[in-house]
Amino acid sequence: MAFRLWKKAIKMTMREKKTFVVFTGIYTILIFLTSFFIETTLSGSDGGLTTYFIGIFFITSLILSLLYAWILVARNRRTWATLKCIGFTNRDVNSLITGIILYTTFMGFLIVIEGLLHYAAIVTYLQSANIAMGLPVILVSLLPVVVTFFVFLFVQLIAILLANRKILKVRPMLALKRVGE
Amino acid sequence: MPIDKDTMIDAIDVNKEYRRAGAIIRALVDINLTIKSGDFVIIQGPTGCGKSTMLNVLSGLDLPDSGKIIFDGENIARAKEDRLAKIRRQKVGMVFQDFNLVKTLTAVENVESMLWPTVLRNKEIENRAIAALRDVNMLERKDHFPVEMSGGEKQRVALARAIVGKPRVVFGDEVSGNLDPDSEREILELLTKINKDYETTMIIVTHRETVAKYGNKIVQMDNGRIVSVK
Repeated sequence: MAFRLWKKAIKMTMREKKTFVVFTGIYTILIFLTSFFIETTLSGSDGGLTTYFIGIFFITSLILSLLYAWILVARNRRTWATLKCIGFTNRDVNSLITGIILYTTFMGFLIVIEGLLHYAAIVTYLQSANIAMGLPVILVSLLPVVVTFFVFLFVQLIAILLANRKILKVRPMLALKRVGE
Repeated sequence: MPIDKDTMIDAIDVNKEYRRAGAIIRALVDINLTIKSGDFVIIQGPTGCGKSTMLNVLSGLDLPDSGKIIFDGENIARAKEDRLAKIRRQKVGMVFQDFNLVKTLTAVENVESMLWPTVLRNKEIENRAIAALRDVNMLERKDHFPVEMSGGEKQRVALARAIVGKPRVVFGDEVSGNLDPDSEREILELLTKINKDYETTMIIVTHRETVAKYGNKIVQMDNGRIVSVK
């Protein structure tokens, strides 16, 4: 049942185009930058400055995820109230919201991995044609991407907890109020 | 007191108060009302008379301060939130004045949404949603989004969503409040047809006099009290 709700959440997310594109875009940038700076730290090519940047990206992603969770609940209060009215439990509504949050993050990851693979393919091709010899073939290796994945997953779990708490406060009776009341 | 097996809802000595800006508002005062299975009940009264509170309490959306609400043989006056949600899913259909369709879902998906948290298979959910849309003459618009529909069409989809779970009771809150006279007549005739065909109990809250003729039981309210039942 939760699986069905997650599938429906994906459909609903894809149709909220503006919010989805904006947040997936920002997540993509943050995930790439975090991975890149973790890569730089691991390779030891820079001093303490990279750790500082990683901290900034972590906090930014945390704030952003909390904002996304807040927007999801606050902007759709009437929808969640209606679903509760027609028989969804808090857990059912939470499954939908969890699906939306996780899907947006996973899409960010997929775009980063896809982008890095394309980058490697293009640079390899250019180097085989003796062009762009100075560029590294691998911009970010797998380990920093996996580390970033778990960091972001942790951040999303905090956002999901916030959303779940806020959903408890959405009373089904809200659905009966007139629009604008 | 034994409950008649034909009794769908029995409200016994129900009271409900609200506190607003320091003042206590007595929304429901000593309400006693019996609704039989298959009744078409119209709850009428002026604005602020307590009819919406009555609907909330009878449908399990809100709990009374005192008294009992026997819903299909079970006292729901002190039921937990999850139990109330389950009762609404299994036995209740809701129709709202503002339709409350999910804007990111098509007509058929909106109808199906009622059955998402059930154990029914996807195909069964789809078949039921299509049958419900056929009942309200909206099958040809099944892939349309709410934004592409008129008020009357949205309300018909909302009605399909309310009946797709084969509820024992359909609650309507000013179901024709945002509709033109033609659409209002269409919706009320559909409610009457569903009431007759499926013996679904209808409880409609309205302030419109024109709606009263569709009911077989008219409950008149004023100042939180039932002043007459015809």
